[in-house]
Amino acid sequence: MGDMNKLLNKSLKRISVYAGIVLTCSIPIYYSAISKLWQYELDEHNILLTPEAGREDSFLIISAITLLTVFFFALLLGGFIWLNRGISRRLWQPFYKSLEQIKAFDLNKHSKIIFDRADISEFAELNDSLDKLIRGSIATYNQQKEFADNASHELQTPLSIVQLKLEMLQQSSSLTNEQYKIIEETLQALSRVNRINKNLLLLTRIENSQFLDKELFDLSDLLNNTVKLFVNFSDNKNINLQANIGSGVLVEANKTLVEIVVNNLLTNAIRHSIPKSSVVITLSTGILTVTNSGLVSLQQDQLFKRFATASAQNPGTGLGLAIIKQICDRYHWAINYRFKNHQHIFSLHF
Amino acid sequence: MKILIIEDEKGMSESMGAYLSDENYQCEFAATFTQGLEKIDLYTYDCILLDLMLPGGDGFRLLEELKAQKKQDGVIIISAKNSVEDKIKGLKIGADDYLAKPFHLSELAARIYSIIRRKQFANANVIEQNELKIDLLAKTVFVYQKEISLTKKEFDLLLYFISNKNRVISKSALAEHISGDIADMFDNYDFVYAHIKNLKKKLAEAGYDNNIKTLYGSGYKWEI
Repeated sequence: MGDMNKLLNKSLKRISVYAGIVLTCSIPIYYSAISKLWQYELDEHNILLTPEAGREDSFLIISAITLLTVFFFALLLGGFIWLNRGISRRLWQPFYKSLEQIKAFDLNKHSKIIFDRADISEFAELNDSLDKLIRGSIATYNQQKEFADNASHELQTPLSIVQLKLEMLQQSSSLTNEQYKIIEETLQALSRVNRINKNLLLLTRIENSQFLDKELFDLSDLLNNTVKLFVNFSDNKNINLQANIGSGVLVEANKTLVEIVVNNLLTNAIRHSIPKSSVVITLSTGILTVTNSGLVSLQQDQLFKRFATASAQNPGTGLGLAIIKQICDRYHWAINYRFKNHQHIFSLHF
Repeated sequence: MKILIIEDEKGMSESMGAYLSDENYQCEFAATFTQGLEKIDLYTYDCILLDLMLPGGDGFRLLEELKAQKKQDGVIIISAKNSVEDKIKGLKIGADDYLAKPFHLSELAARIYSIIRRKQFANANVIEQNELKIDLLAKTVFVYQKEISLTKKEFDLLLYFISNKNRVISKSALAEHISGDIADMFDNYDFVYAHIKNLKKKLAEAGYDNNIKTLYGSGYKWEI
């Protein structure tokens, strides 16, 4: 909340100021009324006062009134505070409760909010409106997820047909080299489309809370095996794949998802390395880092967004890091990027 | 060898049929659940290619029916879903393999070849081709009775070629076959070239006439 005033304090402050002003203003009015009455009594009984005695009386009256006023003001203020606290707390109770519920709400977590029935009509109305708003958001969110899932699903079959037809065309006996090359290049572009589609599907599946089962497994083993698979591709680019993998590092998660994280990190590192440089993979308890050479730092804030890194120069799908982020979020792992001494460093804290 | 293709997309089944139909394979087609059920009831196939989403019913039910009848047909599930759950479920019911769309025709042929070999020659699984002899169980290769030592990747490539005789195979299909999903993430498949070069060299050194031809600069063919 910081500098902001709480609702209750604000109303109390105003009321106190108002009461203070009214009581202060009442002092001269009381004084003049009482002085008039006093003068009247003196005149009726024909009592004459010396100017000194008159001043003394006025002074006494003013101080008595002021004292009384201050006393009543303090009484009023104390009462206000006490009453206001009690009443307000009860009055605003449903509001604070709804506020807590909204704060705890997370679209990703598939939890629904059920508001209590408020017996104050304004709050009931507020809850109804919030309920409608949230329901709308959930529906839109689900629709969007479903759309991505359905769209990539529906694309799968026509994409397969295109691929099979092109492969059949490759079997024709009368192809010229030029024609074969065109088919091959078309197939390559198609395979990129397939890859994007597959990753989109994967992303929506992770969002839709699939891959829920967990197991405790040896990450060191998994990493060693993965590195072996990647050697083909790193050799291809003359990249030295260095693995400093501590043994017996255990992790509890879905194995398929962890494989995806590791594969994506290594793919990126190899793909974006300068030829004849090194990719270093380091694993110790609780931390995995993948380091590769680079010329300029990547844009930190855009890095984990979908398609943020896709470009003509980049043969990737633009989804690899978004998938990594999604998986890390699920397990509350932190994935960080920094650029130091011409090295891209991705570190995963699990 | 008889193959049944249960697939509702004509574009898919036609291409699969055309690729597989050489002197060895005879393909039949079913485009709906009911058609599939009829064919399964009436005939026996060496291999059935089964799409999971069919008009009129779930492909899993066809698989269950097949197993209920205690039939020995080999089954490859072909699915657009590529979900781990489906794969596990299919293999549990009794499918022999699972192939996610999109796939390479050469990969399909290799899987069919492997299943048919496994089903029919379970005990003496030896492929003989002229002077070449491959023992699938022991994973050994002989040329003129003399063993030649191949790496696992070279052995896999050799089998892949033999199950795709006289077909043009692209480098990307070969890369995906030997590196799995990871190949999918890279665009450069030059490492395949090195493996093929070694395989060719080893076969030639043993005196086997070279069947592997390079076509159009980036495709390969096992010519018989």
